[in-house]
Amino acid sequence: MDPLKAFPLIQVLDEDGRLIGDRSQVSDDQLRAFFRWLTILRTLDQRAWNLQRQGRIGTYPPFSGQEATQVGVAAALSPDDWLCGSYRDWAALVYRGVPLYFPLLNSMGHPAAGAFPDPVQALPVQVVIAAQILHAVGLAWAAKLQGEPRIAVALFGDGATSQGDFHEALNLASVMSAPAVFVCQNNQWAISVPLHRQMHSQTIAQRAIAYNIEGLRVDGNDIIAVYQTMKEVVERVRAGGGPVLVEAVTYRLGAHTTADDPTRYRAREEDERFRHGEPLARLRRYLLASQILSEDEMQAIEEEAKGLVEQAVTDAASYPPSPPESVFDHVYASIPPQLLSQQEELARRVREGRRGGQSHG
Amino acid sequence: MTQYEWTLPDVGEGIHEAEIVKWHVAPGDRVAAEQPIVEIQTDKATVEIPSPVAGQVDALLAAEGAVVRVGTPVIRFAVETGSGRTTSAATEAPVPPRETPLAAPPRSRVLATPAVRRLARELGVDIHQIQGSGEHGRVLADDVRTAAARPAAVADRPPSPEPRLQPADDGDVRVPLRGTRRTIAEHMVKAMYTAPHVTAMDEVEVSTLVAWREEMKAAARSRDVHLTYLPFIIKAAIGALKRFPYLNASLDDERQEIVLKSRYHIGIAVDDEEGLVVPVIRDADKKSLWELAEIIQDLSRRAHEHRLTREELTGSTFTITNFGSFGGLYATPIINYPEVAILGSGRIQKKAIVVDDDRVVVKPVMSVTLTFDHRVVDGGTAGRFLNQVMRYLQSPLDLFMEMN
Repeated sequence: MDPLKAFPLIQVLDEDGRLIGDRSQVSDDQLRAFFRWLTILRTLDQRAWNLQRQGRIGTYPPFSGQEATQVGVAAALSPDDWLCGSYRDWAALVYRGVPLYFPLLNSMGHPAAGAFPDPVQALPVQVVIAAQILHAVGLAWAAKLQGEPRIAVALFGDGATSQGDFHEALNLASVMSAPAVFVCQNNQWAISVPLHRQMHSQTIAQRAIAYNIEGLRVDGNDIIAVYQTMKEVVERVRAGGGPVLVEAVTYRLGAHTTADDPTRYRAREEDERFRHGEPLARLRRYLLASQILSEDEMQAIEEEAKGLVEQAVTDAASYPPSPPESVFDHVYASIPPQLLSQQEELARRVREGRRGGQSHG
Repeated sequence: MTQYEWTLPDVGEGIHEAEIVKWHVAPGDRVAAEQPIVEIQTDKATVEIPSPVAGQVDALLAAEGAVVRVGTPVIRFAVETGSGRTTSAATEAPVPPRETPLAAPPRSRVLATPAVRRLARELGVDIHQIQGSGEHGRVLADDVRTAAARPAAVADRPPSPEPRLQPADDGDVRVPLRGTRRTIAEHMVKAMYTAPHVTAMDEVEVSTLVAWREEMKAAARSRDVHLTYLPFIIKAAIGALKRFPYLNASLDDERQEIVLKSRYHIGIAVDDEEGLVVPVIRDADKKSLWELAEIIQDLSRRAHEHRLTREELTGSTFTITNFGSFGGLYATPIINYPEVAILGSGRIQKKAIVVDDDRVVVKPVMSVTLTFDHRVVDGGTAGRFLNQVMRYLQSPLDLFMEMN
């Protein structure tokens, strides 16, 4: 079997933004909305990078390059569906309704960044690699047991597929026929480990065969392809068709996090080759060529994005300080007694520490 | 107008210090918010810092090359209150500390009892500079006394932009490996341990070249150009590179491919007090000898003034080093990795040579070397390439005839 033939790359727009497939499931209005979101998210991501460099936020993992996959996936869900993402999936979360300043709050160490406002149906971002894939299976299985029509989607990277949790999750979902969609954002790099050092398989999608579930491979930089594919997948999974593994082939345009320097391990030529066809530029070219948006309209959107991001920076900077003991607040719906006493002890120690008590190195 | 001092944040995860590599702004400059102001280097990454405010640069508080601790002020701005990005609360002068919860504290915390701290103050010793010998590195009274007994000039010296030279007990001086020196060290190790180096050496009779240059000296003076042999050597090398493309190449380890370069960007090794730098002459094959001479002059001058940009220091496809300029006759230079060869030219000196009819004559002779990466180039190719270079140097007319 040739995996590349068995799992062909689903594409609607080619790298240069030319329409090469069917886009009947997405309206012009929806494309305008996608462009607006991709622009806002890219602006936010780059601003967050700068804020970290200026010392105004802590470590930040940029998602630039992966917006089409994240927005395309989130847009295909119903409000009741679960979204379980990692630390790099803020684009999907913000599109789902998490306020724009939450990613900044998160990098400033505010525990509140994990408490998404209603009615956003999503788990807090997961830092433990691949753990959220299991959480998604649990949520999906629960929905099935409760007879509810909701599904759960896990977002994760190529590096996560080397973790045991990934395989456990796919196996369990397959055995239980849980309504889960596993979306791997194959961005080619797990920090500094390139894909071919990560796995010997040619594709991530082919791993579906082992679990006897459906596997698909989609161009993750093509928001139309991602959205239309996900729409169909979500429908099938909701109807009881069992879990699906979707490999979205994309590229991490930036560093792993602000603590990383990809110029130390990515060859420039290769980097340039992968950059070509990145999601925002691609959509932009298509919308211009097909006259769905004009240069002027795009410029207005870019200006609007700058304003929204500026407001997000202000909102994050003026957020009231979080007391250390607030880390306990959002773990359980109501805090169990043991945890409550730990919270009180922490609060007491912090108070004593502030009064100049003995420091413990 | 308010003053805004920007302190070095933890630009990575758990970074304690960073080196100021290059300032992009100078006192008096007006800067826009988000405009790059400085490039710094940590042990993990080289990082561009965008300006946190819009305003005027009042002072740079750390010199290029200085290693600065997180939390130290490095630049001061004069900021017009209410100007610039008015929507951002954060631009209105000093950012309250609570907005930077993850930035490391200004100084690493020192473990010491109050009594020891007082002793340190009394003896005029900076307790942060002391390596504690107690449990968990706790500074003890004896540590403070030992530190106070060291030569005052060393103990009292505040952190300065220059590398601190601290004589050890045996009198040896330990110089921190920083900046250009560190970059050179890393680069050389990478080149030497990646590419199997082989060096070929030869001599070439250059009386015509010497005569030509003599003849052009007056013209050079009137053009205000210093005409060295280097432009001729560059032309000779390019002429030969065009015949032997495997010498103008690099090895892509990742993909196991040899990349034959389509352009001729020639690196020229420039010796500088601060260390070797290799500025690049782009598309050197398209430049006249006069143009090359002018470019070389400009690049070397700015190399000594440390005013070369990153662009001008990267991207060469083949490098030439003129070790003859400091009197060398032969050398085995290290390849400018990932290139696959480096041409070396030695001093020109008069030698007695035997000509065709067995007569011994005195002629100017230049020594040349070619170090090559044996993974990509074999001895035969290298030898033929070097012969071609020498043919051009011995008979520059050949070069002239082949010029397009």
